[in-house]
Amino acid sequence: MTIRTLTFACVWVLIGFSSAGAQSLRWGGDAEGGAPFVEADPRDPSKLVGFDVEIAELIARKLGRTPQFLQVQFTSLDQSAKRGDFDIGLSGIEDIPARRQSLAASIPYYEFRELLTVRSGDRDRYRSLADLKGRRVATLGGTVAYDLLLDAERRHGITAVSYDDDVHPYSDLVLGRVDAVVLDNVLADRAMRRNAGLVTHPEALAAGHYIVITAPENTALRDQVDQILRDAMKDGTLETIFKKWNVWNEDQPALYARVLSGESAPGTSGTQGTLGTQGTQGTLGTVGTYFPSLLRAAVITLVLSCAAMALAVALGVMIATGRVYGDPVSRLLLTIYVEAMRGTPVLLQLFVIYYGLASVIRLPAFIAALLGLGLNYAAYESEIYRSALEAVPRGQLDAARILGFTRMQTLRLVRAPQAFRLALAPMTNDFVALLKDSSLVSMLTVVELTKQTQIFATNIGSWVIPGLLCALLYLAMSLPLGYLARRLEERWRMPTV
Amino acid sequence: MEDADGMTRPLDAKGIWLKRGSREILRGVDLRADAGELVALMGLSGSGKTTMLRVIADLEPRDGGDVTAAKVGMVFQFHYLFEHLCAIDNVTLAPIEVLRVPPAQAKQRAQQLLDQLGVGHRSHALPRELSGGEAQRVAIARALAVDPPLLLLDEPTASLDPARRNDLGDALLQLAQSGRALVMTSHDDDFVRDFATRVVVLANGEVVEQGDPKTVLTAPTHPATRELLQLERARRGVQ
Repeated sequence: MTIRTLTFACVWVLIGFSSAGAQSLRWGGDAEGGAPFVEADPRDPSKLVGFDVEIAELIARKLGRTPQFLQVQFTSLDQSAKRGDFDIGLSGIEDIPARRQSLAASIPYYEFRELLTVRSGDRDRYRSLADLKGRRVATLGGTVAYDLLLDAERRHGITAVSYDDDVHPYSDLVLGRVDAVVLDNVLADRAMRRNAGLVTHPEALAAGHYIVITAPENTALRDQVDQILRDAMKDGTLETIFKKWNVWNEDQPALYARVLSGESAPGTSGTQGTLGTQGTQGTLGTVGTYFPSLLRAAVITLVLSCAAMALAVALGVMIATGRVYGDPVSRLLLTIYVEAMRGTPVLLQLFVIYYGLASVIRLPAFIAALLGLGLNYAAYESEIYRSALEAVPRGQLDAARILGFTRMQTLRLVRAPQAFRLALAPMTNDFVALLKDSSLVSMLTVVELTKQTQIFATNIGSWVIPGLLCALLYLAMSLPLGYLARRLEERWRMPTV
Repeated sequence: MEDADGMTRPLDAKGIWLKRGSREILRGVDLRADAGELVALMGLSGSGKTTMLRVIADLEPRDGGDVTAAKVGMVFQFHYLFEHLCAIDNVTLAPIEVLRVPPAQAKQRAQQLLDQLGVGHRSHALPRELSGGEAQRVAIARALAVDPPLLLLDEPTASLDPARRNDLGDALLQLAQSGRALVMTSHDDDFVRDFATRVVVLANGEVVEQGDPKTVLTAPTHPATRELLQLERARRGVQ
């Protein structure tokens, strides 16, 4: 292909894209959020259904454009909107000050209540957050409900537990890993249908609203969306949609009346204090507010990484020794273990240990995280030790044997000390990798450094400062380690054979 | 096996056979060594001389024959010192861990051995800091530290310059005179002629000639011995 045809092809593709952009309305949402917001149609998974899908379609239709769905992870919707990945975003997105500050946000189109769900047996014991002192209360991270729980941590001494989805808080409530869940009435209703043995108290802990977001500079589109929503409130279109999805209640007409009468956007009204106030502070104040929690999260990352590495080293040594010295059967079994652990994603292993095994053994999140990372890294460590053991010259082993050492003595006095020196550099490498891989355990509700940074970023609506602080903290942990390892290596430098 | 004095002979190997796949490396080799002897095993590359040492040291399983050997010490061609330990720790490791000699005593004896071999001043150097000749003498000291009546050396002159070779020869003769049996492989006919008390020539896994080095290496009777000497002279001529 000549340069000219290539250029022509590129231009053609670009034109194709921009013309498609002019006709379609790209809307972002998270299909993992599920019904009744956005979910794959159970009868035809290539289609999406849900009230947010219908509202997006309504907006597109009124704008004369075709809706085009873009899958974006719930916690990344704000950043994605800011980047301009999509024109409008809606997926049960909550109205919080930080969001209004950093994005163009529409008028609210749905009012929800934050509700407390507990196990049926605890119905009378736990009626409010104040009753849950010293207990673990779960919710979806990066939401108004999570802020509500953080507030209750300070006021009532509960422990807030953040999940990345809205399914596992309730299943863990059934299992007894947490003692209550706070989420909005839409999610709570859905969970009640899915799980037996739960009860939701009808009193609202707070009220909030769902909104549509657009890129901050796209206020023109936002104004159009506002007008379309107002019209849909007046002509009953929204009511039809919400009724179809069984989420219509008496709160909505009241909300619409307030919105249509021109009242300023009501934001979130908490019955237990104002939520999401961080957005109004200055940068320094924000850093001051979040830095202590980032430091605490860094300590969790460090403790988890060190403990997981200790487990990985101990197990790795045993696996490597078994593979070098063991009988054929144990060698085979250990090889299978190593290949299975290396060949499957650590994230999957973490899920299996925490959720998959929950019916057999209910491990606390931190222990499950420690086990998952440790068992996975043990496979990598064992390969390092095995090759390091093999790298010690055979002649030295012969020499040791002639001198009268037993195999164990040879391993302990001759082979292992040299292998350890050879393994030091790749081990350091693995430890630094583990330090960062430990961020995966946020999936198991452990709030470590990356998760805390994400919470920080979601609350202030920007990744710049949280990202920088997070990077500095990771470096502060990994650089001294690298330095120490280099010092040890220099002291123990082995000849390169 | 006992000799005429009723003493156990440090080495008596009879009819040693060893196969690798279909290749016969050793084909019925007899080799004995008495206390006070410095026996040289000579032969072209692949003649089986190093393998014979490894069979004696029980590092190699044999397919036939009998080995009666006293406790063996061995010095490898590439020394194989323990790289993570300094010279003196290489020497004391086996006495302390295997013979349970008190560390202070083991250290004293190790220093003596290193002094005798002329590397006493290098006792705290790591193997990688030693020259080839120094490393070899540390390896000899390590082998001697457990007091083996039989000392095997694989190509001990390979890493030495001519001046060092004579020092080594004297040291080995001294060890033999102190009542040990020494067996070494070598391709260096001058060294063998000057220091060995007996030479055994191997070719294709068999002993083809043996006797007093001065006689055997001056007037070889077997074609393999003649070929060996010619090659060695040619090699030195090139150098």
